[in-house]
Amino acid sequence: MATTRHTLNRRRRVTAAPAPPAAPAPASGPRARGAGPRERRPGRTAPAPRPGADDRGGGSGRNPGRVRHSPGVRRLRPRLPLPVLLAALALLLGALATHAATQSAALRDAPAARNTALTDTALTSEVQGTVSQAVADVFSYDYTAPDETAAAARAVLTGRAVEQHHALLAPVTERGPEQQLVLTTTVTHSGVELIDGDRARVLLFADQRSTRTGEDGDTTYAAAMFAVDAAREGGTWRIAALDTFPR
Amino acid sequence: MRPLTSRSARRRPLAAAAGAAAALALGAAAWTGAGWYGAAHDDALAFARARDAVATAAGQGVRDLNTLDHRDVADGYDTWEDSTTGELHTQLTEGREAFTAQVREARTVTTAEVLATAVTELDERAGKAGVMVAVRITVDAPEEDPAVKDSRLLAELTRTESGWKLSALSPAPLGESAPAPAE
Repeated sequence: MATTRHTLNRRRRVTAAPAPPAAPAPASGPRARGAGPRERRPGRTAPAPRPGADDRGGGSGRNPGRVRHSPGVRRLRPRLPLPVLLAALALLLGALATHAATQSAALRDAPAARNTALTDTALTSEVQGTVSQAVADVFSYDYTAPDETAAAARAVLTGRAVEQHHALLAPVTERGPEQQLVLTTTVTHSGVELIDGDRARVLLFADQRSTRTGEDGDTTYAAAMFAVDAAREGGTWRIAALDTFPR
Repeated sequence: MRPLTSRSARRRPLAAAAGAAAALALGAAAWTGAGWYGAAHDDALAFARARDAVATAAGQGVRDLNTLDHRDVADGYDTWEDSTTGELHTQLTEGREAFTAQVREARTVTTAEVLATAVTELDERAGKAGVMVAVRITVDAPEEDPAVKDSRLLAELTRTESGWKLSALSPAPLGESAPAPAE
């Protein structure tokens, strides 16, 4: 800031000097500071090395010739710092603009804003519907058609979920043919916790009806709750991870 | 006259430059200011904030309502009443005495951990919301191993002057009848 003002003042002085005999437009900053026509200003008691005091005066370094007409200077003073005023205004507005930009970015990038669950109703119901159906498909098993479960798993699972699903369903698939198992998973409640671009998280409550049609056949119901991390790949939402809230 | 002419001549480029900078800055401030105003008054953003407030309140409320220490039932029960409104609040207030006696008798310490919350409905105008809450409840009774139980809860929240509060809370029913229709 001070340096800029020095430079400006120096430029003004250089331009102002009617004929610069002693100071032929000094090139370097520090030296130029003390070497302007200002030193020759009449009536000034502090001549050479007082650049600070001079600059704080605002208008004083501006025009050595005018000092003689002091009443005129008084009258004109409010008009003189126009460039300074405009520069200050520019700085102020610039600061304001920066502040506003920061604030709106903070609002729009806040976690709440990035999460479009419920705010984007179409996307929310798409995620909800796709994930609920996918969960029902991959956690249902019929010993007469075990391939259907496997096919569903290949279609809707991705990444870590493949391994997790395999482990979760292993007890069923292993004993399925022998015990003639039929497992039906029905999602009763689902809620989208989060949608952030191509990622989503869904909380699901499901009923699991398990029927053994073998000799000691019976049916059991179990309440299940788990969360699913979903990922959109090529326009399709797939289950990327299963969270069964292990203890 | 000569000093005047030369003065304005040398001042003009400076003033013009500063003026241009100020005009640019004004434009930038107007632009970003409008963006800020827009973000602050964006309906979707307000809705998103309400959704998160509801989820937080539901989680906090469920945790509160499943936390009780027999050594400090009065305070615990006060918290219960503070976290609720409407019908649920009335029920709790009416059942206070009986419940307090029961807890003191059983000498249980109940704690809860909210595993997940998901807002399923939010009507900002009506001030009503529905939330699914998955919670793990641990009941410590004397001379018994702590019992841990996972619960699937459906909460209804109502907006009050002091924020969102639970107005109904029930376990998600298990479909006993064969193939229950998926929601």
